[in-house]
Amino acid sequence: MALLQAYGFLIVLMVINALLALSLYLPLMSGQLSLASPGFYAFGGYIAAILSTRVFAPADGEPYAVGLVVLEMLIAGVASGALGVLVAIPALRLSGIYLALATIAFVEILRVVSLNLPITGQAVGIFGIPQPFGSQLGYLLLAIPLFLLAVVFVARLERVRIGRAFTAIRADELAASAMGIATGPYKVLAFALGAALAGTTGALAAHFVNTWNARQGTFDASILYLAFVLIGGSRTFVGPVVGGLVLTAVPELLRGSAQVGALPAWLEGFLSGGGRLIIFGVLLAVGTVFFPQGLVTPELLARLRRGRSRPEVAVAEAQP
Amino acid sequence: MLLQQLVNGLAIGSVYAIFALGYTLVFSILRVINFAHGAVFTLGAYFTYLLIGARIGFNGLLAQSALPFGLPFWVAAVLGALLAGLVGVVIERLAFRPLRRRGADPLLTLVSSLGVAVALVNAIQYLVGAENYTYPPGALFGLPPAIDIGATGSPLPIRTTQIVIFAVSMVLVVLLTLFVNRTRTGKALRAVSEDADTARLLGIDVDRLILLTFFVSGVLGGFAGTLVGLSVSIAGPYFGIAFGLKGLAVIVLGGLGDIPGAVVGGLLIGVAESLVPSDVIAYRDAIAFVVLFVILLARPQGLLGRAAVQKV
Repeated sequence: MALLQAYGFLIVLMVINALLALSLYLPLMSGQLSLASPGFYAFGGYIAAILSTRVFAPADGEPYAVGLVVLEMLIAGVASGALGVLVAIPALRLSGIYLALATIAFVEILRVVSLNLPITGQAVGIFGIPQPFGSQLGYLLLAIPLFLLAVVFVARLERVRIGRAFTAIRADELAASAMGIATGPYKVLAFALGAALAGTTGALAAHFVNTWNARQGTFDASILYLAFVLIGGSRTFVGPVVGGLVLTAVPELLRGSAQVGALPAWLEGFLSGGGRLIIFGVLLAVGTVFFPQGLVTPELLARLRRGRSRPEVAVAEAQP
Repeated sequence: MLLQQLVNGLAIGSVYAIFALGYTLVFSILRVINFAHGAVFTLGAYFTYLLIGARIGFNGLLAQSALPFGLPFWVAAVLGALLAGLVGVVIERLAFRPLRRRGADPLLTLVSSLGVAVALVNAIQYLVGAENYTYPPGALFGLPPAIDIGATGSPLPIRTTQIVIFAVSMVLVVLLTLFVNRTRTGKALRAVSEDADTARLLGIDVDRLILLTFFVSGVLGGFAGTLVGLSVSIAGPYFGIAFGLKGLAVIVLGGLGDIPGAVVGGLLIGVAESLVPSDVIAYRDAIAFVVLFVILLARPQGLLGRAAVQKV
């Protein structure tokens, strides 16, 4: 319990980032490299922040109802999904780096607009977002179920007709359309699903971090989520989840290791200062170089699964 | 008034242009975007600051230290740009070549180059702090701060730094164009950008040319950093990031990988930003991205680019 107390904040953060990595993975399932997740995340967060401070605002001293947070998450998810469809339809024409650049532009436009609109609190943002829980630890009650739901959803998605269509489009769009797959609607669907997940996550995060401003959806975040997916592994949903969880924990673990006390003073100062971000950057670069397929690949998962039932085969295969 | 804004737009636009040239050079050869370019830009400005013998502020590991010598500004600017070019070479070696060797997805270089950028930016912050630095006055041979080119009665003062920036940028662009179009190495570069495998078969050392491209790109980026630092200030380790993003809009507007396109795109976006009416000035930073979005949808090959033929 003490461990949960100490790391509760970090765990919620890890789950949020794993969800965002999944939201980037969804369009990627159909071969679309979209970096728009931070935009939808910010959008969903603003919806929750505005609803909870203006519409559902509790009377003084009363706690905020958890049910309302869930309702906001639903509204934010639907609204972000709808915005996702609106963005996806024109963006369908683009692929590869061009789509990535267009989505970066989308994120930046949203950011500048939210910096200037009175309803989003301009540069100050929206603060004092009502809290449904006594401590930030309580958010685990919302984050974990949302996480499990999203993971089960994407895991099932990979095995049903729609998901198989996504995979076919990713492998070869032309061949997929020749097979009779309506590539356009499927691509829009994949894009919108990612947007909805990012928006829902944003609504939860807005309550969790208590203030919401234009710094929430930035270009750095776009590439960071891409790093979660690519370093985790982009060919199975397990990759982004692992990437999001692990890469969020790394900088914090580096910070924590500075407080162990057994390190030389210069290293301790380095780690608690800017050093851990330097190390994080190097890890991103090294990680991509040494794990170009990502940490988790479908082959690895298959080997693990076989290893559990027939260990001797796995050993034989491990030494080609 | 309008003319004044045009002049401001051209000055900032010419900086966008040389910044974007560094992007576009790398893109034309490798078909990827080097996200560490913004960090190289920042480094160039800091190198120049150190080389003129200026003192580091109160934060960071190197607080209050300075080099034991001070170079004249222009010598420092050139040396700083060359050092930035070397950083570009190191980035190629660490973040691009290993992935190329392994035949990895080119998209991975987005992440590896961003990793390098994160490390560089935070290293700057760790070493010299996040303060705002300005070059000492008198850097421009003691030229007057502004020159009036208007008639009596309707003055049109232009800041000397703006003239210098515009002139220097144009000289760099012309030199680069001559280099790419008129020299043997430039020809080889164009061959590699057309088709790297065929170029290799023809006996061109592709890896060395890629290294050279990163060097030139770094020099241009570093020099752009110094010029912006001269015209405004060095606004902390992160000041290259905003330029990095606008640079994306510039190269897409001009056509990805197109050298004259980057120049036209830079000037156009600079001028467009300067023409924003003052009552909606807060939206100015969105212009580049609206342009980016619209151009991608309407004309993905950019203003000057050729439409790519999709081969099946």
